[in-house]
Amino acid sequence: MAQLQITDLHVEFGGLRAVDGLDFEVEKGEILCLLGPNGAGKSTTLDLICGKTQPTGGSIRFEGMEISQMQEFRRARLGIGRKFQVPSVYKELTVSENLSVARSRRPGILHALTRFALSDGRAVAPILERVGLESKADDLAGNLSHGETQWLEIAMLIAQDSRLILMDEPTAGMTIQETARTADIFRALSDSHTLIVVEHDMSFVRTVADRIVVMNRGAMLAEGTIAEIESNDDVKTAYLGH
Amino acid sequence: MTSRLFYDLVALVIFALVIVLGVPAIMGFDGFELNTFARYLALAIVSLALALSWGGAGLLNLGQAATFGMGSYAMAMHLKLKASGDGLPDFMGWNNVPELPLLWVPFQSLAFTLLAGLMIPAFVGGLIAIFMFRARIAGVFVAIITLAFLVAFQLVVIEQQGITGGQNGLTGLAPLSLPGWTVDTYGVGFYYLVAGCLMVAITLGIFITHSKFGLILKAIREDADRTRFFGYNVANYQTVIFCISAALAGWAGMLYTLVLEFASPTYMSVSFSLAIVIWCAVGGRESVLAAAIGAILVNMLEGRLSDVFVEGWNLILGVIFVLVVMFMPRGLHGLIGSGWQIITGKAGKPGMRPVDTGAAALPAKSAQER
Ligand SMILES: Nc1ncnc2c1ncn2[C@@H]1O[C@H](COP(=O)(O)OP(=O)(O)OP(=O)(O)O)[C@@H](O)[C@H]1O
Ligand SMILES: [Mg+2]
Repeated sequence: MAQLQITDLHVEFGGLRAVDGLDFEVEKGEILCLLGPNGAGKSTTLDLICGKTQPTGGSIRFEGMEISQMQEFRRARLGIGRKFQVPSVYKELTVSENLSVARSRRPGILHALTRFALSDGRAVAPILERVGLESKADDLAGNLSHGETQWLEIAMLIAQDSRLILMDEPTAGMTIQETARTADIFRALSDSHTLIVVEHDMSFVRTVADRIVVMNRGAMLAEGTIAEIESNDDVKTAYLGH
Repeated sequence: MTSRLFYDLVALVIFALVIVLGVPAIMGFDGFELNTFARYLALAIVSLALALSWGGAGLLNLGQAATFGMGSYAMAMHLKLKASGDGLPDFMGWNNVPELPLLWVPFQSLAFTLLAGLMIPAFVGGLIAIFMFRARIAGVFVAIITLAFLVAFQLVVIEQQGITGGQNGLTGLAPLSLPGWTVDTYGVGFYYLVAGCLMVAITLGIFITHSKFGLILKAIREDADRTRFFGYNVANYQTVIFCISAALAGWAGMLYTLVLEFASPTYMSVSFSLAIVIWCAVGGRESVLAAAIGAILVNMLEGRLSDVFVEGWNLILGVIFVLVVMFMPRGLHGLIGSGWQIITGKAGKPGMRPVDTGAAALPAKSAQER
């Protein structure tokens, strides 16, 4: 059984069908890249999976469980993590505090009351190193550059350690080197995590994607390997806008 | 131990020395003089209680005076019963109340009273909190709802004369009798009792602030929605800090009744609630110690100035508040923090939180999203 099953998913925003009869599945351990022109409904699809948006119809099953009506913190506890298109970190907290918040394996109040704020420091240090932010551990996240902020949010998702990670345009604003490093991290992550990645950078997609789903106007347009997608006529038409 | 926790503990030790040794020495260990100061210390507790919810979690509770009042009345009911011996409290007779109302009966017991002074405010605060935070009410609406509750609660207390003593409150109280010690409000011992309570409250506050719980609350303050996606039950976190804050306010209220030897519905007034906000803002709402110091300083100032400007004190208080909001939004605590960074040349480094205006109490974004 696929880890995530999306069936006939719908959502409307005041008449606009942002997601309109979407079906796809994601297997455990794969990296699925979600492509599509601007406004195709990619971010909205991730919103529906993580609970930011409620669907108007259809079903989302995660590891066999229907989650489409579940509160967002419950979905997070089940094992779904989300990186947002606009990097969402806590600007008033330091980098290491951000990671401590993200490291939420035990999100209960009693546990939190009996731990110091930075008790996660040792656990998150290797993650900081992995994304190259170790020298910024005590800086306020609000003082980071855009690229560093992207790294921080990626690091937060590594710290959160969800089984299914939803990444919305993780390499936006990154240099070529940074993008390559992100690709390495994603490949390493996919050993023990499933990833859905929304990306526009095709060379990045080529390096990381196990499989690709192309969306257009809220529905699936094509699905397959990179080679299949690149030779698909419907996809070409959608991107050229005819 | 993190360096910030270390600094807070050092500051606490210095503060404790001043309160335990400095102040009594200056006042020549005179119980009468110290009684006035004990009043400030009791108010410091309610100020730090507000700092926990407002500074720590971005929840501006304008109903803090209500929970303070509950603690205050709990203590007063106990002492009134002690003063009345086997008879009914005098005001009940004047109001034709035939027998002791059920609500009063358990307050015969000191243990129940002490527990009730903490738990009733916590319970009521928790009830309001659950209703608000489950519905994801945030920002200015929290202030409006808690303010509305305060106004309604004060009305009920004044209205229910037979039970509460109405406008007059509860007067003619017996001294508190603890096992082995009858508390003399004008004794040095009483001052140390209040000072000890304040130290315990501050220590508790510091540990909450520096716990992971405190960190998650800061995260919620900045972006509640983001925090949900990490699996935290935001409403529960907010509710718990509201309860803790309310319990501390109740504790302060109990001490306040002991200091003044009566309980009055004016403790539950809007102006008293706003005064708490001002103390907290002056000291710095992000630190429980600073909020406590803010309460002490403003009340000392009031003690000096209100004799001179009898009618004008509220105006002065208002002006202080406007100045603080405009020129030092993070209070004296923020001012000292910034000064420290200039000295050590570490501007922009940790501890240097981005300066937000009072509007940080009103994180506007979470409400409309869903
Ligand atoms: N909360 C909302 N309210 C109203 N309309 C919305 C909302 N969220 C998304 N939309 C609309 O739904 C459509 C799909 O948006 P979505 O953000 O999912 O696109 P996308 O595929 O992520 O595009 P991009 O590549 O530009 O990020 C767009 O037309 C957008 O304007
Ligand atoms: Mg998008």
